[in-house]
Amino acid sequence: MSAKREAHEQLGGGLLEGNIPSLVAAAHELKSPLALMRQLSLMLEAGDLSVMESQRMLRQISLTSERALRLTSDLTRSARLDDAMFNLEPINPQQLCEDIVHELTPLFNAYGRDVRLLPRRHPLLLVANRDLLRRIIMNFSDNALHYANSNAAIEIQIKALNDGQTIRLGVRDYGPALSSDMWRTLQGKLTSAPQSVHARPQSSGLGLYISSQFADAMHGKIGITRHRDGATFYVDLSASHQLSLL
Amino acid sequence: MKKPLILIVEDDAWLAEQQARVLRQAGYETSFAPHAIAAIEAVDDVHPDVIMLDVLLTGSTAFALLNELQSYGDTGVIPIVLCTNLAADIKLDDVRPYGVKRILDKATMAPDDVVAAVRSVL
Repeated sequence: MSAKREAHEQLGGGLLEGNIPSLVAAAHELKSPLALMRQLSLMLEAGDLSVMESQRMLRQISLTSERALRLTSDLTRSARLDDAMFNLEPINPQQLCEDIVHELTPLFNAYGRDVRLLPRRHPLLLVANRDLLRRIIMNFSDNALHYANSNAAIEIQIKALNDGQTIRLGVRDYGPALSSDMWRTLQGKLTSAPQSVHARPQSSGLGLYISSQFADAMHGKIGITRHRDGATFYVDLSASHQLSLL
Repeated sequence: MKKPLILIVEDDAWLAEQQARVLRQAGYETSFAPHAIAAIEAVDDVHPDVIMLDVLLTGSTAFALLNELQSYGDTGVIPIVLCTNLAADIKLDDVRPYGVKRILDKATMAPDDVVAAVRSVL
């Protein structure tokens, strides 16, 4: 059994069969948004806020709950990957990423940030499952929102590699440079099952691991490029040859 | 009279915003750092009277920051309040040598608890 497969068993099976580290990781990831929503609710309950402040807090609660729900939805999807048939179809990544930018803009704006898609002159087609690919890019974008500098936009990039055989969708953030230790840890998180927060205090890596599983189901892979001023999280998928037939 | 300044080290900007609001209403000045590197710079810049510190931070954990603070005589005496989702897993006696005076549990605390915690360590 491959390491990735073993890891998949740990998470996918774990959530259903009582794998404690996976459950701890999921619980930990959900604890932060729940704690924030509770604090905001208590503030609202106490009153003594201007209308503008109240509206801002209600918006924050709504957007935070959406992020938490996305994670729960990804978890259930991840646990059922083996049971489901996923249609792989030719997808225009430009259109998909435009939709994602449109969907994420309210959340980013609420944090005073910007997310944008870098324009491409030539259209590309890749082979993927639309829902899984969307979840991967949303995951990367959520990650970037959390870790990037507050004054820099998050960029979604689409590139053709290997003479057009591979399409890379990347989410570039501008933030503190990753230390070598952090870099090695992140590399491990791309393919390892999430561990207890005691073992990896800074993050369980659950979102990355789920993204890795989704990419695997589409015969793709995810990775990270380290920059001096941030990082790019990417997914590589096969190009569709349908475009060349047009 | 100069208001005490509380440095909030928290990678969740919205939670930091809430803590800052409550502390300002209680008469404190606040400053914000989203990660350990920014926190070290902020400590040099604003000389906080108390540090309100999350444990799970981007990049380094709070413990790297605590070690750094303990390395210098002037920063080692700044009282620290840990505000974390891992409160149940951290014993105050274990972190007291790092300058930690109080631990708040994000999952159960009330908004005013940050004010009470800061008052108790000043």
